[in-house]
Amino acid sequence: MRRLAWTLAVSLIFAACAGGGGGATTTAAGGVTTTTAAPGTTAPTPTGGEAPIRIGVSLPLTGEFSIPGSKHRDGYQYCIDEINARGGLLGRQVELLVEDNRSDTEVAVSQYERFISAQQVDLLFGTFSSLLTFPVSAVAEQAGMVYPVPSGGALRIWERGFQNIFYFQQTAVEETGVAPVGMLEYYRDQGVIPEDQFPTTAAVVYADDFFAAAIANGLLGGEVTIPDSDKVISLAPGYLAEAGIEAVFVEQWPIGFTDWLTLANSIRNSGAEMVMATTASPDEAVSLVNALRTVGVQPSVMYTSQGTQSEFYDALGEAAEGIVIQSSWHPRADWEGLLAGEPFSNSDFIEGFTAAFGRAPDEDEAIPFAVCQGMEQAVRGVGSTDNAAMRQWLHDRTPEDPVKTILGDFYWDERGLPFDRFQLMTQWQNGNLEFVFPVGEFPGTVDLVFPKPAW
Amino acid sequence: MNELQVLILGLLLGGVYALMASGLTLLFGVMRVVNLAHAAFIVVGAYGAYFAFELLGLDPFVALGLIMPAFFLLGMGLYRLLFPRIEGSPRFGEMTVLMTFGLALIIEGLLAFYFTGIFRSVDPPYATQAFILGPVFVPRAQLYASLTSVVLLMGLWAFLRMTRTGYAIRATMQNRVAAQVVGVNVRRISTVSFGIGMALAGAAGTLVSFIFTFFPARHWQWIAILLALIVLGGMGSLKGAVVGAVVLAVASSFVSDRIGPTWAPMTFFAALFVTLMVRPRGLFGKEIDR
Repeated sequence: MRRLAWTLAVSLIFAACAGGGGGATTTAAGGVTTTTAAPGTTAPTPTGGEAPIRIGVSLPLTGEFSIPGSKHRDGYQYCIDEINARGGLLGRQVELLVEDNRSDTEVAVSQYERFISAQQVDLLFGTFSSLLTFPVSAVAEQAGMVYPVPSGGALRIWERGFQNIFYFQQTAVEETGVAPVGMLEYYRDQGVIPEDQFPTTAAVVYADDFFAAAIANGLLGGEVTIPDSDKVISLAPGYLAEAGIEAVFVEQWPIGFTDWLTLANSIRNSGAEMVMATTASPDEAVSLVNALRTVGVQPSVMYTSQGTQSEFYDALGEAAEGIVIQSSWHPRADWEGLLAGEPFSNSDFIEGFTAAFGRAPDEDEAIPFAVCQGMEQAVRGVGSTDNAAMRQWLHDRTPEDPVKTILGDFYWDERGLPFDRFQLMTQWQNGNLEFVFPVGEFPGTVDLVFPKPAW
Repeated sequence: MNELQVLILGLLLGGVYALMASGLTLLFGVMRVVNLAHAAFIVVGAYGAYFAFELLGLDPFVALGLIMPAFFLLGMGLYRLLFPRIEGSPRFGEMTVLMTFGLALIIEGLLAFYFTGIFRSVDPPYATQAFILGPVFVPRAQLYASLTSVVLLMGLWAFLRMTRTGYAIRATMQNRVAAQVVGVNVRRISTVSFGIGMALAGAAGTLVSFIFTFFPARHWQWIAILLALIVLGGMGSLKGAVVGAVVLAVASSFVSDRIGPTWAPMTFFAALFVTLMVRPRGLFGKEIDR
């Protein structure tokens, strides 16, 4: 009996340990002992202009974030290839070093530590998701390396007083909700949404994830506590309450959640007119929408925080019609950026990427491309890969002299968050992701379809 | 009326968990093997159903007829390959835990290598349809999967009760040494049982392929749930696995509805701790004299 108990206990411990990390072995981060001053301040390339500029990035190529993670790799790689095709940077070729962190924070941290201390890369690119960015950005900050963030707008990342982080999307995640709610108010004022059909009740459901919980927090008017400090930021009353919409059902689901039908059933029972779901991955949005279809809920507005990717429409088919999703990037938003000192617009990016990869890019490829543009301009701006000088150069940007990317112009406040930027609202219409809000910034905007077609 | 709805959802989920757990508890009963790779094989079965659907256009219920025999043969082969060399070891139990843990890692690694970590699910039309019965709805996918699970479990029960091999398996479950004494070829019975356990894993994988999204690392979450519910039911007891599955699935559905989905997975682990503290042999387990 005792031996049996031991066997069982050992089994459970194994299962528990492996479950936490998503399985497989851990990459050894130690083993290489090099004493380094902050890299970047001492140029680690003894051979001068010949050695390539090396850029380290750890991405979730497998596991929970594998789809967006792999796309970030492609977006970065395409940018590097384009820079090299234009003669490189400061006369040197550029080399991208990619590690797979399997969506695991500890692996991501050790891989960035390795890039900085063992491999002594010249520059870092940011990883995907708020979850991984939170610990990883602290590693870069300690080493004095500029850490450009493609994904990770949760306020708690930006309120830690860090000097080396710069955000390459529009707003902090907590402020994302201003876009969908503002869109509804705009279309009510335009008469597209009849006054008496404007949703007054909403179900807000969200994943146990920095990004998802932060959007919900802004919608609901909660508070943000900044870790390792006494700072508490109030978001009250919240974007929903400001618009006169009552949140009649609020629920969070855990990581690895599978029981979507029970959740959909609760949403049905709440009778909410609008469903707002903020997810940790587009797959969760697909699962939730499928469960809502099964249960027979027909909201007049269905908002999800993710789902602009083509896989989303492939997975849902016509059920995706009318779903509104916020986005940092849209193919029609033809911002003009710079690459190798020459104009390089969003449509140039789409054309070139499609030619190189045989598929059209989406935001998970465009955002990392913009990050790469920003870093390239910083290196050109200071004439070296001195990270301290690059940080200062990035902080010195102004509305007149911004960083110019295919995601628009960026200049940052002291926290590293962009000034004067707003998320875009998109909607699936006839199989196409259409740009519905804000209106008037670009040609090609179409009206919102309201109410959402029945699924 | 919502209680009835939640109860229905819980029962249907329980039916699927019961099939997922049956192979695991059978193997433990016959061979005292805690097969930590069981859920990994369920994931393999789900991939089988996925590719049968995507490439051949086969409905999962048709694929079931191919996957179960294939997994049966695969299971017997794996048993012959891996187990005889450690059979005589005084630390057999511990060694099987390590070996099946390694097997799970290898399977996960191979799946991730060949099929990437992308989330998959099979999407037959009935996956998002439901029967509406007055105030409640019965999701079709879950209903079909549960009914299939019931049929397969009844078939297993009948096999164990009514065939000579079934007798021998039950005899081995009750007392391995005594079974050997009366002439049961325990190694052959173990081989067949491993094959059956694998066929059940393949069947479970086929059914969950259109109920849950899956990816190579998904099995860790499933094996944790399965271990919890066979401990509650009594390790090695088929009846226990079924009862444990249904009880815990219903309980977790109610926790999800009343307290919130975040707490639903806790149901399984709370049950595990309570069972180990209060009645370590579980509801239907027998005291093991080792």
